[in-house]
Amino acid sequence: MTQETLALSARSLPRLNWPRFRGAGRLLANGHIRLALAILVPIVLLTIFRPVLPLPGPLDTDLRAMMQPPSLEHLFGTDRMGRDLLSRTLAGVQISMFVGFAVALVALSFGLIMGTLAGFFGGVIDRVMMAITDIFLAFPSLLLAIGLVSVMGTGMLPVVLAISLSDVPRFIRLQRSLVLSLRTRAYIDAARTVKASQFWLMTRHIVPNTIAPLLVATSIAAANAILVEAGLSFLGLGIMPPAPSLGNLIRDGQSYLEQAWWISTLPGVVILLIALGLHFLSDGIRQVLDPRSRK
Amino acid sequence: MLTYSLKRLAQLFVTVLGVVTLVFFTMRMIPGDPISAMAGDNLSGVALDKMREQIGLNEPILMQYLHYLGGLAVLDFGNTVTTKLPIIQLILDALPITVAIATGTIVLTVLIAIPLGTVAAYMAHKGHKMLDNAVTGFAMVLDLMPSFWTSLVCLLIFSLALGWFPASGTVSLNDPAGLLHRIALPVLVLSMAQVATMARITRTSVLEVLSEDYVRTARSMGWSELRVLFRHALKNAALPIVTVIGLSFGNLLNGTVIVEFIFTLPGIGNLLVGGINSRDYQMVQTLILFYALIFVVINFATDLGYRVFDPRVQF
Amino acid sequence: MNYSAAINTQSALPASNALLQVRDLHTHFITDSGTVKAVNGVSFDIERGERIAIVGESGSGKSAMAMSLLRLLAYPGKVVSGEINLAGRDLNRMSERQLNQIRGHEIGTIFQDPMASLDPVMRIADQMILPIMRHLKMSASKARAEAIDWLARVGIPDAGKRIDAYPFEMSGGMRQRVMIAMALSCRPKLVIADEPTTALDVTIQAQIVELLKDLTEQTGTAMVFITHDLGLVARFAHKVGVMYAGKLIEFGPVKEIFAHPSHPYTQSLLDTIPPVDQPERRKLAQIPGFPPDMKLPMVGCAFKDRCAAAHERCFRETPELKSRGLAHRAACFLPEGLGEARRRDMEPIPTLARNSTDRVVVEVFNLQKHFTGRSLVPWRQPATVRAVNGISLNIREGETLGIVGESGCGKSTVARLLLGLDPVTSGDIFVDGTAQMVFQDPQSSFNPKMSLFDIIAEPLVVTGKGNRAERTARVHELLAQVGLDESYAKRYPSQLSGGQRQRVAIARALAIKPSVVVADEPTSALDVSVRAQIINLMVDLKRQLRVSFVFISHDLLTVSYISDKIAVMYLGSIVEYGPADEIFRHPAHPYTQALISAVPVPDPVAEEARQKVPLSGELPSPLDLPPGCAFASRCPKATALCRAERPVLQAYSGSREAACHHAN
Repeated sequence: MTQETLALSARSLPRLNWPRFRGAGRLLANGHIRLALAILVPIVLLTIFRPVLPLPGPLDTDLRAMMQPPSLEHLFGTDRMGRDLLSRTLAGVQISMFVGFAVALVALSFGLIMGTLAGFFGGVIDRVMMAITDIFLAFPSLLLAIGLVSVMGTGMLPVVLAISLSDVPRFIRLQRSLVLSLRTRAYIDAARTVKASQFWLMTRHIVPNTIAPLLVATSIAAANAILVEAGLSFLGLGIMPPAPSLGNLIRDGQSYLEQAWWISTLPGVVILLIALGLHFLSDGIRQVLDPRSRK
Repeated sequence: MLTYSLKRLAQLFVTVLGVVTLVFFTMRMIPGDPISAMAGDNLSGVALDKMREQIGLNEPILMQYLHYLGGLAVLDFGNTVTTKLPIIQLILDALPITVAIATGTIVLTVLIAIPLGTVAAYMAHKGHKMLDNAVTGFAMVLDLMPSFWTSLVCLLIFSLALGWFPASGTVSLNDPAGLLHRIALPVLVLSMAQVATMARITRTSVLEVLSEDYVRTARSMGWSELRVLFRHALKNAALPIVTVIGLSFGNLLNGTVIVEFIFTLPGIGNLLVGGINSRDYQMVQTLILFYALIFVVINFATDLGYRVFDPRVQF
Repeated sequence: MNYSAAINTQSALPASNALLQVRDLHTHFITDSGTVKAVNGVSFDIERGERIAIVGESGSGKSAMAMSLLRLLAYPGKVVSGEINLAGRDLNRMSERQLNQIRGHEIGTIFQDPMASLDPVMRIADQMILPIMRHLKMSASKARAEAIDWLARVGIPDAGKRIDAYPFEMSGGMRQRVMIAMALSCRPKLVIADEPTTALDVTIQAQIVELLKDLTEQTGTAMVFITHDLGLVARFAHKVGVMYAGKLIEFGPVKEIFAHPSHPYTQSLLDTIPPVDQPERRKLAQIPGFPPDMKLPMVGCAFKDRCAAAHERCFRETPELKSRGLAHRAACFLPEGLGEARRRDMEPIPTLARNSTDRVVVEVFNLQKHFTGRSLVPWRQPATVRAVNGISLNIREGETLGIVGESGCGKSTVARLLLGLDPVTSGDIFVDGTAQMVFQDPQSSFNPKMSLFDIIAEPLVVTGKGNRAERTARVHELLAQVGLDESYAKRYPSQLSGGQRQRVAIARALAIKPSVVVADEPTSALDVSVRAQIINLMVDLKRQLRVSFVFISHDLLTVSYISDKIAVMYLGSIVEYGPADEIFRHPAHPYTQALISAVPVPDPVAEEARQKVPLSGELPSPLDLPPGCAFASRCPKATALCRAERPVLQAYSGSREAACHHAN
């Protein structure tokens, strides 16, 4: 049996012949991702197109229609100033989306860069980074955010910064441990035998193989950011009224819980749905991009 | 064992020092004049200066830092601005409530989550996907409900609608039954989220252990599945579960702030929120520090606790 | 099958003398992508006290079959039909409760990975004593005495104290002995051993195999021994069954099967093993193609696509196990199997002309590599591991140096030092040109996100050789050299089989035309038939490209087949060095002698005639090197001189060197 025949016979692989789905195709085929999109896409679309929807604005008061329960006219009811709750909720979702996205972006970028450097180069850089992250990780996330907000004041920027400050160390740790486990792989050694530069190793080999777990963590971090922001706003320490944050809305309804249950309850359902959607998204990404991880 | 403990204690100390320093200097970075903020518009000029001197804010910052550290060493955290009472006293008064809530939550959570997670893992191992997915899905939804929202919903249903539990009222340690009645709802709310996480981690950990070779060895010696589950699987799965119990404490610190606020319970969480609203920076600073310390100490205890469960953990 | 109620399990078959009768066993794995028919109709008998080996490659279903006997399959595996008769009772029809009485008590099990098969957080005592108490109805103290007795019998020193140890306090060999003791302690009639020695070092493996032989003969226990190693079969078993694609395709007495294999697969399998003593070097047999997809329905003979003698009947009908005389059965329509076609393409390998004026491409002088731990307290000396403790060697152009040794001998460290991956502690390495690598682990050899083209081209890109067109041409050239079609360039590592991955690894290693390729266990993770393909490939490349190889392995048969020179390593030093043939035929150093005698060869007659004195003792750790000869603690010839003074490599004969005080 010559090598040629071997090559020819190798062409007919019975069971190893699955084509490689790259990118979008495989992602969309996953059940969890589909469910996530089914939840998130309508919410996102409604939020983006709210200005053109036949709804009153989020700040428009209507003193004739105060504290109305949900009806056909006002799907989510109205609050004590007659403002349409659905409209305010969607405006609140806009804020949440922004916070979630911003925090995710900050955490991902910082975590990726600093975690890779720490894991790859080790030594002093690593030890210093670990000591600093230890300090920040010593605070439960909400409390850290509360502490920082009390220093910086309320508003969008402090909130985003405060929440990021507790996520960035987590991401650095995650990326660092991923890098550490990849560093000893044989293909890294193979590249080193031809004297590949550190930069080449990092960008060509290490980072592409850490993206998948990082994306999973990012999706979860976004969900967490939305929940923490809502919590801060609820405590009166985040986004302040009259800007409608989902947390704000729930706080508003706290005093009228018995009379107008919808004010506090319905925005909470929306928060839950967004968080669920993001978690399903992360599950789906994990299943698709990391086939060896067990569910 | 001794060397390891010492090493960890040293690390602990460094972290704590870092936390203290961070908190101290961050607090000092507040834009604007904290004194005017605290004093409001009532005082002016000389009186303000006197107040500064009293609190020590007219000294160079490093001196303030050293003074602060000195104060910490003797557990003097200063006094609140509002009532001029020593902060440490207020904290100690409020602590038992929070501890009661936290303990109740942990106990309830462990009692529910660990069996639930184990059952789910067993189902998954045998291939009964439906039941396993149902439990996992349910846990996920519980986990993601914002605790303040859950509190309000529970308040609505159990307190206002059904009237089973009080929504507010006095709390006293001398009345255990009343205390329990009062903290039942907050404990329930907090447990819901904790159960979800703990059940999930238990499930993952037990599932992994169930596919290990030594479980198969035990079965090959003739032991029944149930016995193998309890005698071999759980003990080996304990490590991550212990970690998550430690983490739960951390999450509880978050959660108690919110439930104390909603259910108006005079724990340290409420002190914190009150302190922020009344701009009592000493109080806020001390409380944040306090929380961080608890968290760090719990992590340390968890670390040492590993040794109990896993004899392989060498020092 | 309803397992919840106890049912009458008396078998319908006539009672026979056989201890275990397996009839038409079928086991399926129901996965999301289809049902895998792992065991597809297996029948055989085991007599009392008999040792049967079940041999096959990965995917043959041998492990699934073994686990089916006691219904120890993990989800989604399920025994769907068949009878398993243990002295008249059908195990397949028993309830779980009844089966639990059988497990451990009448049928014992030994699993493959001793590191993972014992509960790490439970003492040995608790794991052993409780089953004895339950199955043999003994009191706690009697059971404990019984357990200690067994531990002593399997060769655990100081058994009375060791029984209270935790598994992690023991080495792999020790743990496997504990498993054997556990399996035998409840006095079973039959023991199922699933690859019990695969995870162990060669000399330890020899010890365990002798132990199993002795114990089963003493206690009269029968054994079903699952393995992929035909040498072990020859050394250990009375009868052998060969499995392929879920079926038993040949079964019979070991001597008969090895001497007159009837099935083409068995014949080819035997021919893929590097022979020990070859007057003329020949290529190894290769089995083309891949095992069939077990999810698809099987039409005709499972081996038909790969069989050189297949004819049209093989495509229509499935052959059954038919008698070939004296308890020998084979499932093939052809009476002679491959017949004339056998060994047809095992061409002789022309020897390379070599003379001493060939340039030296690798020269190593007194190489040392020490790893020093970090100590937390300043007054304690940190431990130093002398992984490589003074190695000198040289390699000429086109020569293949084999480095052989067991765990901890330092061979992998030498590989890394030669490649420049780790810095040396002292000593010189000279490489004329570049050194490239082929490593063992097929999973981590390639970046899973890179296409094969990028993987092979990477060395060219990093060293800046050629433009895109030139690189493309070179990649295609390399793929052809290793026997892969051009279209493979677009694929990804996860789409390749183990053998294909190693071919790509070799292609990548050859990309920048290195002077020497360092291969560290390149075939250890491959099936036997695939191993032969890769070995043949390397032999061809050696001749065509005149590239030098360093072939590092614990597999003595392969190393001696492919190498020109061999260096035998033990605890960081070379103990013997010289031409491969000579060393294998007349080993000078006691360790080499022990190593060679420990390797089983697939020739039952020769095995029987051999004197097997396995080396005693455990593999020492390189942490605590004694002052004298590192081998003195286990050497049968050791004297006081050996323990005091370290021997150096001296010339033993014209071309050979040995580091032993007593070799000359």
